[in-house]
Amino acid sequence: MSKAFISAVCMTKIGRHFKLGIKNLIHEVTACMEEKIGSRPDYLIVASTFSALQTHQLDVASIATQYLGWSNIPSIRVETGETSGIAALELAQYIVRSGAASKVLVIGVEKMTEYPSNKVNADYAKILDYDTEYVRNITPPSYAALVMKEYMRKYGATRDDIAEWPVKMHANAVNNPYAQLRFPVSKEAVSNAMVISEPITLLDAFPIGDGAAAVLVTNESARSKDALEIVATAAATAPPLYLREDITELPATKAAWASLKRKLDACKLSEVALQVHDSYSIYGILALEAVGISEKGKACQVIPNLEYLNVGGGLKARGHPVGATGLYQVAETYELMLEGFAGKQYGGEYALIHSMSGSDYNARLALLRRW
Amino acid sequence: MLEGFKILSRPEARVGVLGWGAYIPRQRLRASEIAGLWGFEPSIIKALWIEEKAVAAADEDAVTMGWYAAKSAITRAGVDPQEIGAVFVGTESKPYAVKPSATIIADALNVSSKKLSTDMEFACRAGSEGLRIATALVASGTIKYGLAIGSDTAQANPGDVLELTASSGAAAYVVGPAEEAAARFEGMVTYITDTPDFWRRDCSHYPLHGEGFTGDPAYFHHIMTSVKMLMEELGLRPEDFDYAVFHQPNGKFPLRVGKKLGFPKEKILPGIVTPWIGNTYNASALLGLAKVLDSAKPGQRILVAPFGSGAGSDAMSIIVTDRIIERQEKAPKVEELIARKKYISYAQYARSRHIIRRIV
Amino acid sequence: MKHSISIFWRNRESHYRIKITKCNVCGKLAYFGRDRCPHCGSRDVTVIESEGKGTLVNFTVSYYRREGDEEHLPRIIGLVKLDEGITVPGEIVDIDPSEVKEGIRVEAVLRRYSSDDPYGLIYYGLKFIPILKK
Repeated sequence: MSKAFISAVCMTKIGRHFKLGIKNLIHEVTACMEEKIGSRPDYLIVASTFSALQTHQLDVASIATQYLGWSNIPSIRVETGETSGIAALELAQYIVRSGAASKVLVIGVEKMTEYPSNKVNADYAKILDYDTEYVRNITPPSYAALVMKEYMRKYGATRDDIAEWPVKMHANAVNNPYAQLRFPVSKEAVSNAMVISEPITLLDAFPIGDGAAAVLVTNESARSKDALEIVATAAATAPPLYLREDITELPATKAAWASLKRKLDACKLSEVALQVHDSYSIYGILALEAVGISEKGKACQVIPNLEYLNVGGGLKARGHPVGATGLYQVAETYELMLEGFAGKQYGGEYALIHSMSGSDYNARLALLRRW
Repeated sequence: MLEGFKILSRPEARVGVLGWGAYIPRQRLRASEIAGLWGFEPSIIKALWIEEKAVAAADEDAVTMGWYAAKSAITRAGVDPQEIGAVFVGTESKPYAVKPSATIIADALNVSSKKLSTDMEFACRAGSEGLRIATALVASGTIKYGLAIGSDTAQANPGDVLELTASSGAAAYVVGPAEEAAARFEGMVTYITDTPDFWRRDCSHYPLHGEGFTGDPAYFHHIMTSVKMLMEELGLRPEDFDYAVFHQPNGKFPLRVGKKLGFPKEKILPGIVTPWIGNTYNASALLGLAKVLDSAKPGQRILVAPFGSGAGSDAMSIIVTDRIIERQEKAPKVEELIARKKYISYAQYARSRHIIRRIV
Repeated sequence: MKHSISIFWRNRESHYRIKITKCNVCGKLAYFGRDRCPHCGSRDVTVIESEGKGTLVNFTVSYYRREGDEEHLPRIIGLVKLDEGITVPGEIVDIDPSEVKEGIRVEAVLRRYSSDDPYGLIYYGLKFIPILKK
């Protein structure tokens, strides 16, 4: 199979950008990309989870293409809940591998601040099944809370153990110029923060923010000098939470990882640059366990030792402009492996990106390798 | 044959109560708190004999409460809901002004779609009218079983004396052939006139009432007339009854009307529920009846006289059968529901009953 | 109009009564009336009804605020293991957050799920309360 590469990345600062709409964010990240690559891509993929609900825009990819003045270029909008960014990467990779295009620009963009939070929260909950969960008042944070409680009961983890996660995420984000939240937090602050759905507090959960990140996926001939190879991607879907025997397992993540694992040459997983989906602290912890970084129930203990984990601050502190998040994960990894990012430099060969939607309703992984 | 049981060729004598059910919400607001907020002289709560009232939660309404009472009634009756041929909901707090509550409850309980069904309004006695109509449908052979529900989240103008008592609750009755009944009807009489003692105009949130006028010309006149008519038709006297259950807007009125009719206090008290749960409007007398049925013994005779403003009263004589014993424990009893309580503040009551003006 | 008529109406039996889909191929049970087994994908299924009684196995007290939640927060969201053997998610009501614990016996009751105020539809469905009749 022919190869696919990440040849350039761009990110915008994540925050509440009331002056910037979807088009402005796309323009900003594309302008950055144009400075880096000069020529136009052959294909545009836009990952945006909430564009239809929050900005009333269907077919945001075509509208973006029109706005960019790239009218003849084909474009697709991708939406797979919270994993839309990596799904877009997955798609771009197939387009390039198939020979249909040589340069695919993937833009993840999200506006989460067009409405007050009670409407954003309502829309976010639509990643769950509308009939069996949403109309019955089940929401993503309440599911995450049930998972966290079950994990604490089953493995004896304490509130403070789990607080290791946001403490590390915030420490990492202090050095990330694109992060939404750039202040350290203590374990005490995590426990004392406002409760969202107990035991989950505000400091366990991602902030609401806008952002755009772009990744240029190319074939070998259009590859830039500084490139990462997309070794492989994997995706899987899992049953709803209430059908699972053990809600502390991430079945989609595990299934996706199983198919990707064989591609990782024998190297220590704990040395791989890792980006995992920590919409809530507990999910970041479970993701580490799902890919085998630690045994079940023990991830809290290894968090402080993982130097290349969520270097940008993860969803928790870098932020989670939902459709763009996967591409922020990729962009941070690219910079980390090439010039360095957020005060860190990674000299290793592989990077693993993990994205998931809700309580792992779908999971998408990307394995990247230094070229 | 039970002693004192008079068989008459009245249609309702072919019919009886197969099952009864009750529902009282968990929240309680003390009358003293309402009185204190609105500047009532504190002894009013003793004068009315009202201690506290039941308040439906924000996610409850006449449909949800009626559903629970009906489910219990069906369980006690032991009938297949597919054999119920009529569902009537008597209420003055319909969630929809147009769109029957009865069809929601019916589908939620898997009642046959081939049925008669409607919501009915007659202030506090529509549930009782539904009971009479369901009984007549059974008696005429039109249906096999009927379900009559009285359910309200009663409204009262904040600051009005009625707010001390207006509360939430539901009662339901499955009626059918007397041979299957836990309590059979001996006779029913209804007396109705155009007497505007209490009303609520279309689109008004709260009712208005004539205060004193709601007494003698309305409550007392209609109940006493219907009860006297019934006793005369059946050739019965107060001594023939073991219980007298009346519509109970407060704790005092049923005692007073019962006394005027010649019933001793001891026969009235068992059917009184209002002092602890408030006036549940369409469920008022019917919850009193349910409470009596929860512990009545075979052969006992019960008088029940609901009243509804506008105005009218039904008087019914019911005789308990052997079948009641095995059905009493099959669903929550009124006393158990009264005992299930959590005290709330006036503010929580206002939130629960959606009476705070806000943008939704 | 925020609440759709048809979306809820066509599934009302599953909201008004606890419907369980039993797969005739893999034998597993699943919450909600369905045309297919969500475990194995088979179309050979039978929909049965639960009695609505079970045990609370997990819960959380949620302050997460969506439009229309104002009168109902905090909500208690839990997982109930029905006596029939399967677990369903649901709201637990008529109990204080401080009183909820795992292991309590619950029964399903009809409540308002939400209402499209002031003029739209009310969605009714089952929530769980501590069992009234032991």
